[in-house]
Amino acid sequence: MDPMSWTGTLGPILNPLIVASIAVFFLAFLTQAVMIFAGMRPGEVVITPDQNHGISIPRSPVDYTLMAMKYAILVFLACIVLFFIAGVFQSDLTDQGVVGAVGARFLPVWIALIITFTVSIRFKRVLGLYGKLFDSPIGMVGFFLVMFWVFTAIFAGLVATHGPIDVISQMRNEVPGAFIPNSNEGDFPAYLLGGDNLGRDVFSRMVHGAREVLQIAPAATLFAFMIGITLGLPAGYFGGKMDTVITFIANLVLAFPVILLFYLLVTPEIVLAGVPQYMSMVLFIFPIIFFVVLFNSRYHTQPTKRAILLAVVLVTGALCYFSLISDRGDSDSPLRFWPEVLDIFDIPGNLLIVFVSVVFVNSPTVFRIVRGIVLDIKTRDYVAAGQTRGEGPWYIMLWEILPNARGPLIVDFCLRIGYTTILLGTLGFFGLGVDPESANWGSTINEGRRLLTIYPHPPLAPALALMTLVLGLNLLADGLREESLKD
Amino acid sequence: MANREPHDGPILEIDNLSISFFTRMREIPAVMDFSCTVQPGEAMGLVGESGCGKSTVALGVMRDLGVNGRIVGGSITFRGRNLNAMTDEVLRELRGSEIAMIYQEPMASLNPAMKVGKQLMEVPMIHEKISAREAFERALEVVTDVRLPDPKRMLDSFPHQLSGGQQQRIVIAMALMANPSLLILDEPTTALDVTVEAAVVELVKDLGKKYGTSMLFISHNLGLVLETCDRICVMYSGEAVETGSIKDVFNKMRHPYTQALFRSIPLPGADKNARPLIAIPGNFPLPHERPPGCNFGPRCDYFKTGLCDAQDIPMAAIKGHDRHSSRCLRFTEIDWLAPRALPSGKAKGSVGNPVLKVDNLKKYYEVAANSMFGGGDTKVVKANETLSFEAHEAETLAIVGESGCGKSTLAKVLMGLETATDGQVFLDNRNIEATRIEDRDTSTVSSIQMVFQNPFDTLNPSMTVGRQIIRALEIFRYGNSEAERRSRMLELLDLVKLPRAFADRMPRQLSGGQKQRVGIARAFAGGARIVVADEPVSALDVSVQAAVTDLLMEIQRNEKTTLLFISHDLSIVRYLSDRVMVMYLGHVVELGDTDQVFSPPYHPYTEALLSAVPIADTSVEKQHIVLEGDIPSAMNPPPGCPFQTRCRWKSEVPENLCETRIPPMRRLADGHEIKCHLADDILMRMAPVIKISAELHNSLSVRRQVRSRAT
Ligand SMILES: Nc1ncnc2c1ncn2[C@@H]1O[C@H](COP(=O)(O)OP(=O)(O)O)[C@@H](O)[C@H]1O
Ligand code: SF4
Ligand code: SF4
Ligand SMILES: [Mg+2]
Repeated sequence: MDPMSWTGTLGPILNPLIVASIAVFFLAFLTQAVMIFAGMRPGEVVITPDQNHGISIPRSPVDYTLMAMKYAILVFLACIVLFFIAGVFQSDLTDQGVVGAVGARFLPVWIALIITFTVSIRFKRVLGLYGKLFDSPIGMVGFFLVMFWVFTAIFAGLVATHGPIDVISQMRNEVPGAFIPNSNEGDFPAYLLGGDNLGRDVFSRMVHGAREVLQIAPAATLFAFMIGITLGLPAGYFGGKMDTVITFIANLVLAFPVILLFYLLVTPEIVLAGVPQYMSMVLFIFPIIFFVVLFNSRYHTQPTKRAILLAVVLVTGALCYFSLISDRGDSDSPLRFWPEVLDIFDIPGNLLIVFVSVVFVNSPTVFRIVRGIVLDIKTRDYVAAGQTRGEGPWYIMLWEILPNARGPLIVDFCLRIGYTTILLGTLGFFGLGVDPESANWGSTINEGRRLLTIYPHPPLAPALALMTLVLGLNLLADGLREESLKD
Repeated sequence: MANREPHDGPILEIDNLSISFFTRMREIPAVMDFSCTVQPGEAMGLVGESGCGKSTVALGVMRDLGVNGRIVGGSITFRGRNLNAMTDEVLRELRGSEIAMIYQEPMASLNPAMKVGKQLMEVPMIHEKISAREAFERALEVVTDVRLPDPKRMLDSFPHQLSGGQQQRIVIAMALMANPSLLILDEPTTALDVTVEAAVVELVKDLGKKYGTSMLFISHNLGLVLETCDRICVMYSGEAVETGSIKDVFNKMRHPYTQALFRSIPLPGADKNARPLIAIPGNFPLPHERPPGCNFGPRCDYFKTGLCDAQDIPMAAIKGHDRHSSRCLRFTEIDWLAPRALPSGKAKGSVGNPVLKVDNLKKYYEVAANSMFGGGDTKVVKANETLSFEAHEAETLAIVGESGCGKSTLAKVLMGLETATDGQVFLDNRNIEATRIEDRDTSTVSSIQMVFQNPFDTLNPSMTVGRQIIRALEIFRYGNSEAERRSRMLELLDLVKLPRAFADRMPRQLSGGQKQRVGIARAFAGGARIVVADEPVSALDVSVQAAVTDLLMEIQRNEKTTLLFISHDLSIVRYLSDRVMVMYLGHVVELGDTDQVFSPPYHPYTEALLSAVPIADTSVEKQHIVLEGDIPSAMNPPPGCPFQTRCRWKSEVPENLCETRIPPMRRLADGHEIKCHLADDILMRMAPVIKISAELHNSLSVRRQVRSRAT
């Protein structure tokens, strides 16, 4: 059977439009470049000198080319959306075409996105900084892209057509839209984005990859932040020798070549010696310290409340901590005394290495950001007010300074998730870190790389996915930055 | 100099100018229908509270409104040429040479990486294309004109090597290099100390005369405008509300806002009983929330419904006055001579026993001279030298002095943020000078609290007002339950006269005055017995200052608190303090009752401080004492008397004593001490710095008597 076409039944109508919009865009772009080079300027705002101060913007040719570009993009996007909508309502794969079918598979994601956006825009005035994001077009686009992948990760089971490691050997290197020969009743009959060199479905691997990436990257970044914050606060606040020492170490780590570090971490001798485990033992204790200090400083005046909160933090913290670092299957584990009953989950050794390296790479930078903000905020009068009423230093750092540093930290967090995602890709690309079989985008790109010139589609899908996610995170960070400055 | 076509007629004519800022949400009209004329050689003062649009007018004249600011109506004519219609190139040429602007922050106009001389010489070299030699001559001349010591050395230094006052003089010199016809000064002295401010103002005045430059002088301080300007324009919420000659506006004001403004500022010529402060009720409207009709309507005593809120109010000339006009519909009906309604005088609580006793307190800081490698030489900064004083229950002790005199260090030692190097501090006969705050018990901590200077900084921006007060209650171990603390918090809001609904607001939703009230509530949360108020109102607008000051005084009366009021503003100190302590370079130079300190004999520094205070009262005659130079650095104090580098009485002391020996503290009268070598007979010869001129004073008191008989 012939593979399905890209655009299905709507193709003959919409394809010329798409081609036209792309052509118009590039023509307008070229014309504009020439005009600007020739010294023409966009029109400027002119205030009409009447009573109610109307503004008018006289249009120059440059403005018209800009408009042409804008509308070309809009037409292009409208066509894609039409394919998606048509795809949802057409039932036959050949009618839908690849684009339509992919759009239809993402239906749960579209529904979730529409609900999120309607609710958020409706209540944006009462939602604080998150609500203000919806005043910024850039932020909205970024949020859309990020949430698209978040929902894809959540609904991966519904969206994907096959399992991430299901192999159908006839489908090796098949083109997008290829039908599965004599597929079983009830199974999805085609590989929407083709098959890779082992015969796995590229589309499904991309969708499941979103889950892999979004499970690790934000969590690892969060750890990096906690460590950066726990060290940056006292360094900035107390200054002195301690600051000098920590800053020196941070700079040392920053100067260390990242790739070399990764190779070191996966070198068998080092793994056998348990170095990653020891490192994780140190790194993972920071969140517990963080929360203990956080609540203790706040509630030390109310002993009962403090006791309850600290007990909760310590018990859950200890449980997670020891589950994390002990592994009953691993006889090399340096920590074997922890009873198996209490070992609620295990983290595969490889993942541990990913966490350790992500934290190791990111926390020095976070440390420096936090330290800088603290140096600024600690001169404020409300900090002095805290000191003069006898607050302890940790209360001041965590409750007076940290909340006011949140703006830049949230922005940096978004950027850093993007960075971590690429880092995971890089790790996977070098065959380090996560399970080689896994659908992780980085590993997939790496695998497809070898046959790139003959079969470009297997690595292209995850590469585009990675690109849009990182782009979305960057736009989101920009939007947040812009809106948080406005207050 | 630049060959400019001769021009007679006004230098600057602003006609019905309106300026708006455009944001994504809305248009913000910052200036509306503003007109004013500056004649050659004339100095025009522009006064108003912050945010009323003064700077916007100045930037409009400079055509420097940024990306979102636009002139939306009216015209600006400079020497007969319409500025609105000029191209950017012409404007740029004009800005550097014919119109010069001086900003509040001197460093904003200086290039930190370029020597002062080079920066000065650049101006005429670019605009007039003169040779470097000529430019250098001119720079030297101008720097001498702005009275900088050792001009050659000044030209050869970088901006950061100069003090704030010197930097501002350089900026003025730079403006003068181009010999502009119009000089715009936007709060040029706000960042400076009072004595330095007085010298800079004196300089600006003289230069205006010497060079014949017209000036647009922007300030929030009526006193400064009185001293520098010929005419004044009062702005309120984007509009000019009254304009006229200084004399007319100060003595025969015809707008309710101007009147209210004058009634809310303290004048050192009068004391609090004769002339209590009257705060202007309500708050300044935000640009997009202005009321219909008269902008001042909601706060005006003479407001008449149906008239004042029914129409736009035009500027109207006042017959019989010289170019004096007012934006008020009722100025002909209002009885401008009616005496102010005096708030019922509250008896001052009697002063009790000493609560705080400071004895020979010393605080030295050791700083590494070479901070890069620590160790090596260390220098000693003597921030506090042998301070001794007592503060009694229910007393207000004002601590007066300029920046760097050790006021804040004293506060830190009292609070326990620093420990004393030597000497003793007793709180109720217990030594606390060596106990850091973390070692003090809760009751000690809660009994000494502080109110801070900057209202925009004093509250944590990300915690509700109520939470912040409750936190103070928690840390002072007040109450046993959250509910108990919450009800106490609401009571504290009542105490500082804020609506209870404010408990759930975020600080950014409050105005400066309201934030300062929250700061006061927080300080009193633990029943403070001593409150150190570090310039609590100096960052507030004048109309709000009065209200916050009153509040502080009232709470003090009721709670019998000892108030240590740190300030550099002698007018306000005279209003509210019982005793005054004057500090200079870490020393107490004078200590006494308010009346003793404010009348001769003075310590020479007190005398200069008093003379430096700008007074917004035309009937006051002031002796002008201009101090030479700047305050020496505490790192490197002069030998002998700390004030000897700037003292004008030094020559009266025999045997060079001032330069060799630190004078002892001397008792002049009961409770009045000064630290000076001057002999008694010389001290007795000192004349009062501030005099109410006899003739005006008499006419005022006659008027008062007539009134009191009539009523
Ligand atoms: N760039 C700007 N964008 C929006 N609003 C502005 C801008 N600059 C000033 N404003 C507003 O214009 C009003 C007048 O400000 P300004 O001229 O600085 O007052 P002043 O100098 O009297 O303190 C204020 O309400 C201020 O918030
Ligand atoms: S117009 Fe009316 S409200 Fe406005 S200042 Fe005059 S009397 Fe007051
Ligand atoms: S001791 Fe001498 S220098 Fe010091 S204030 Fe008195 S007269 Fe002036
Ligand atoms: Mg201003």
